[in-house]
Amino acid sequence: MIKELLDASTVLNNKHVIQWKKNGKKVVGYTCSYVPDEVFHAAGILPFRIRGFGAADTTIGDTYFGPFVCSLPKCMLQLAGEGKFNFLDGVIITPGCDSMRRLDECWRKAGSDVDGVIPSFFFHYGVPHKYSDYTIKWLTEETHRLIAAVEEHFKVKITDENLHRSIKLYNQSRMLLDRFEAMRTLDAPPFNGEDALAVILAGTTMPREEYNSLLEKFLSEAENSPVIKNRVRLMLVGSANDDAGLVRVMEGEKAVVVADNLCFGSRFYTDQVEESGDPVSALSKRYLGHNDCPRMYGDYKRRLDILVQKVEKAKIDGVILQNIRFCDLHGSENGLFERDLEAMGIPCMRLEREYGPLVETGRMKMRVDAFIERIHQKKAIA
Amino acid sequence: MFVSGVDVGSLTSKAVIMKDDRIVKSVIIKSKARPWESADEVMDMALARAGLDRKDIKNCVGTGYGRDKISFIDEAVSEIACHGRGARWLVPSVRTVIDIGGQDCKAIRLDAKGDMMKFITNDKCASGTGRFLEVMAKVMNLDLDELGEMSARSKQPVTFASACTVWAQADVIQQLNDKVPIEDIAAGVNNAMASRMAILANSIGLENDVCMTGGVAKNNGVVNALEKHLGIRIKRIRREDPQIAGAIGAALFAMEKASGGVI
Repeated sequence: MIKELLDASTVLNNKHVIQWKKNGKKVVGYTCSYVPDEVFHAAGILPFRIRGFGAADTTIGDTYFGPFVCSLPKCMLQLAGEGKFNFLDGVIITPGCDSMRRLDECWRKAGSDVDGVIPSFFFHYGVPHKYSDYTIKWLTEETHRLIAAVEEHFKVKITDENLHRSIKLYNQSRMLLDRFEAMRTLDAPPFNGEDALAVILAGTTMPREEYNSLLEKFLSEAENSPVIKNRVRLMLVGSANDDAGLVRVMEGEKAVVVADNLCFGSRFYTDQVEESGDPVSALSKRYLGHNDCPRMYGDYKRRLDILVQKVEKAKIDGVILQNIRFCDLHGSENGLFERDLEAMGIPCMRLEREYGPLVETGRMKMRVDAFIERIHQKKAIA
Repeated sequence: MFVSGVDVGSLTSKAVIMKDDRIVKSVIIKSKARPWESADEVMDMALARAGLDRKDIKNCVGTGYGRDKISFIDEAVSEIACHGRGARWLVPSVRTVIDIGGQDCKAIRLDAKGDMMKFITNDKCASGTGRFLEVMAKVMNLDLDELGEMSARSKQPVTFASACTVWAQADVIQQLNDKVPIEDIAAGVNNAMASRMAILANSIGLENDVCMTGGVAKNNGVVNALEKHLGIRIKRIRREDPQIAGAIGAALFAMEKASGGVI
């Protein structure tokens, strides 16, 4: 594992961000995978995916959110309140889900209560919940509104030419990540799920040019790395997870996570952006259309098909359907997935957890171990 | 050929030595702070009582929260699989196992051959676990055994608004201050416990026969209340102490392993 990728996945204000800022350049954070990084790249701004990683408690988050709210946005606000995001020059909030949308109001209120908590550029990027000609038009207009706001605030010009160049760069990244995905799903993969998540996370925290270069190096090294054999092959599905430690607990000595359908996971890189034509419209189509998040209406069947295809392609032995407590979107969809995948003979295990510091791993480990034993029994019978 | 199973739980640790599908000796002790110390002590006690030495044990399987920390075991198996296997040995017709341990509760569905089909456990909360009963018994100044027996004498069980351990504890204190008969409070505690467990058990779908394992299976007040909540009969375990079901399962896995099987 390349140390730089690992460091970038676990340190928010990592050395790439520090160097970027030293060069006098801006960083804008965003909370959801529906925000097009290319817009910021084209403006010479570093897009940075905001996480709640490292929050030790939610005392600040609890002050602004109610008790029955997912702990992810609470942890994000906690870090903001503690000044951990002071390196951000701007923040984009999207209605990924209701809890995430509420972060917009809570962060604004915290910003009015305490100086320095909110950056001077704070933008709500409305993303529709359906995919259709009408909503692509809507998101295209919304993206134009975002571009205009970025141009005005940061005194930059985002040209179509720059956007095309950024789209090309990010597509190169997606191609490399396709190679990464192919390696990850090999019968004997050269890296485990914990490392895979670290590689993906690093891409959300550093300049894309540097990321692509590190990724190429990682892939070359992986081609000659020792392979992982004779482990139960798991797929991880559900709520956002940006903690490689959680994957480590699940994998233990007996399993390997070879696939996922997470927003800090394969959803980050699937599908290219059309390189010809109007770039803003192309970005809107890809970002609204590629994403397999249950926030989107009427797409359950397609999301189930994606999981089934992944199970077949990656030779998955069992699926872990996890959700953060009070994450209704994934919590309810996981119930449907469990029903339908089990009916197809695919073993599933549901797991509810808190986002935040990894505590009480014993109980989680016990469940995963029992799930692995169940899979072994199933294989022995077959 | 002797084999053994050791189950290090949060409240108690259990060891079982078996030979030819029979239990030679079993021991239950209070768990210590460190799981390996509990495992050493309970296993040494079982061996001493059976007149055996560690080298006489062909295979040993560990289970429970501290299973990975036990140095002398040959293999670690989750307590879910062990309770399923142990319950099957105790009640051969069982298809649904409800286990209430010190700090968790589980419901396990087995297929006709006794293999685990599905399971569910509680989340990180003491409600619905042995700890819930322990806390309530302490507030009422009762032994755990007395708590179970009191349900039968209750004429009007109290209803608790919440199965949360913290809130229910406050409710118990309130009832005691209001001079509500202690057997009615005890019955209410057992009912609250059963109600919580019933939600969990129902969520995986019950199939007869149903049995209960773990220390709480010895509390008749909870078992009777659970039968009412679930609307089914729970088969009582008579063959051995239901609290050692996990250790029995571990010993059975050890036997399988010693006979050349793969766990």
